[in-house]
Amino acid sequence: MIEFEFLSAKNIEEAINYMHNYKLSKLLAGGTDLLVDIHKESPRLGEFSYVIDISNIEELRFIKEYEDIVEIGPLTTHTMLIESPIINKYFPLLAIAAKTIGSPQIRNRGTIGGNISNASPAADLVPPLMVLNAELELKSMDDKRFVPIEEFIVGPYKTSKKDDELITSIRIPKLDESYKGNFQKIGRRQALNIARLNLALIAKIDEANKKIEDIRIVPGSATPYPLRFKNLEREIEGKTWNQLDLDYLSQKIGEEMISITGERWSTPYKKPALGGILKKAMNELLNF
Amino acid sequence: MKNIVVTLFVNGKKEVLEVTSKERLLDTLRDQLNLKSVKEGCDVGECGACTVILNGQAVNSCLVLTAQIDGYEVYTTESLENKGNLHPLQQAFIDYHAIQCGFCTTGMLMSAKALLDKNSNPSREDIKTAIEGNLCRCTGYEQIIQAIESVSKKVKG
Repeated sequence: MIEFEFLSAKNIEEAINYMHNYKLSKLLAGGTDLLVDIHKESPRLGEFSYVIDISNIEELRFIKEYEDIVEIGPLTTHTMLIESPIINKYFPLLAIAAKTIGSPQIRNRGTIGGNISNASPAADLVPPLMVLNAELELKSMDDKRFVPIEEFIVGPYKTSKKDDELITSIRIPKLDESYKGNFQKIGRRQALNIARLNLALIAKIDEANKKIEDIRIVPGSATPYPLRFKNLEREIEGKTWNQLDLDYLSQKIGEEMISITGERWSTPYKKPALGGILKKAMNELLNF
Repeated sequence: MKNIVVTLFVNGKKEVLEVTSKERLLDTLRDQLNLKSVKEGCDVGECGACTVILNGQAVNSCLVLTAQIDGYEVYTTESLENKGNLHPLQQAFIDYHAIQCGFCTTGMLMSAKALLDKNSNPSREDIKTAIEGNLCRCTGYEQIIQAIESVSKKVKG
C-alpha cells in the first residue's frame, strides 16, 4: 500500500521550500501519469513519503511571447497548447503533437512540464521540443540554471533534474520563416494511444533553390529516450529535392535506430514503420 | 497521515469535506456524497466512465486527488435533471437508443455536456473528438454521436 502525506504549494517559493525540506517527495501537477503509477503501485515510483501538489500554482501556467523566444509555463495543459494562438503561429508541430495526447479529459489535466519530467520514451511533446531546441529553466533554493532539453532527459524515465529543483519555464527560440515542421505518430487507436512510434522534424527550406539547409529529426519510442538522429540529418542536409531518395533515407533511419538499440523483439515492426513515417513526414514537409 | 479539509461546490451546492491524502475525486463523489452516477471503471484514465466537469472542463475523476481541488466546482450527471425534467442530452440518449448497458452513459453525457457548453454548434468530428476518451462496448458509438448531434441541432434552432 502506498501511503503519503499531501502538501499543497500555493506559489513557486513554497514549492521550492517543500522540495528542499521534505526529502523523498513526488511532485504532482496534472496527475495523469503520477496517479496512474500510484494506482498501479508501479515500481518506477521508488520510495516516497510526500506528494507536493503544484497544480494550483497559477504563476507556472502561461504562454508568453518575447522578441526572440516563446516561454511556456510548465503547468500549461495540453489543451492550452492546442488552443494557443502563439503556439499555433510559431510552433504548430507542438500543437499538433499535443492534440495526439490521450483524450480531452487527459489533455485538460496533463501538463507540458509533467510530460517532460516523466521522461517517458513515448512522451509526445519531447521530440518536438527537442527539434525546437527548447531549454528548461530550473530553480532550487539557492540556484537557477538553464538546461537544453537534449541534456535534461538522460534515460528512460530519467532526467538530470535534482530532487530539489523545479522546472519554472520552458523557453523555445523563435525560428525564421523558412523553417517548417512536421509531427507523425503511430498508435493502436485514434484516442488514448501511447505512441508506438512518433517522429518530429523541422527543416530550413530554401524554396528558391529547392534545397534543405538545416534539418533536425527526433523519433520517439524508437530509442530508450528521444534523441536527435544526427547521421540521418547529415544525409539530408544540403540536398536538393531531386537529390533526396526517400527509400534510401527510410532505410537509413532504421539502421540508425538499430545502431542505438540493437536488434529487439520489436525491430522487425519498428524498422519499416519508422521508415514509413519518415517518408510521410518528408512528403508532407516538401508537399511532394 | 492527517486528513485534509476541502470545500467543493458540487452540482451547485457547497460541501465541506474531510479527505485523506490519497482520496480521489471519484471516491469522494461516490462514497462521501453518494453520487453514484460517477462510475469506477479502469482507474487509470482510459475508459472515461468517471468523467465529471471540473471548473468547466471534462476530466477523469480517478486522476484527481480531492485534496488538490479546494474551492473548485464539480458537476456530475446528477446535475442534469431539472425539476423532474431530463436534460435534452439525457432525453436524446433515450430517443436515439444511445444507451445499452448504461455503464458508460453518465461519463459520456458529461463529455457531451462539456463540449456543448463550449461549442453549441459542433461538427461531427468535434463530437467524435469530445467523446474519444469515453469507451463504450455496446452501442458502437453511432447512436451516441447521433444523440449529441440532435441536441446541438436543437440549439442551432
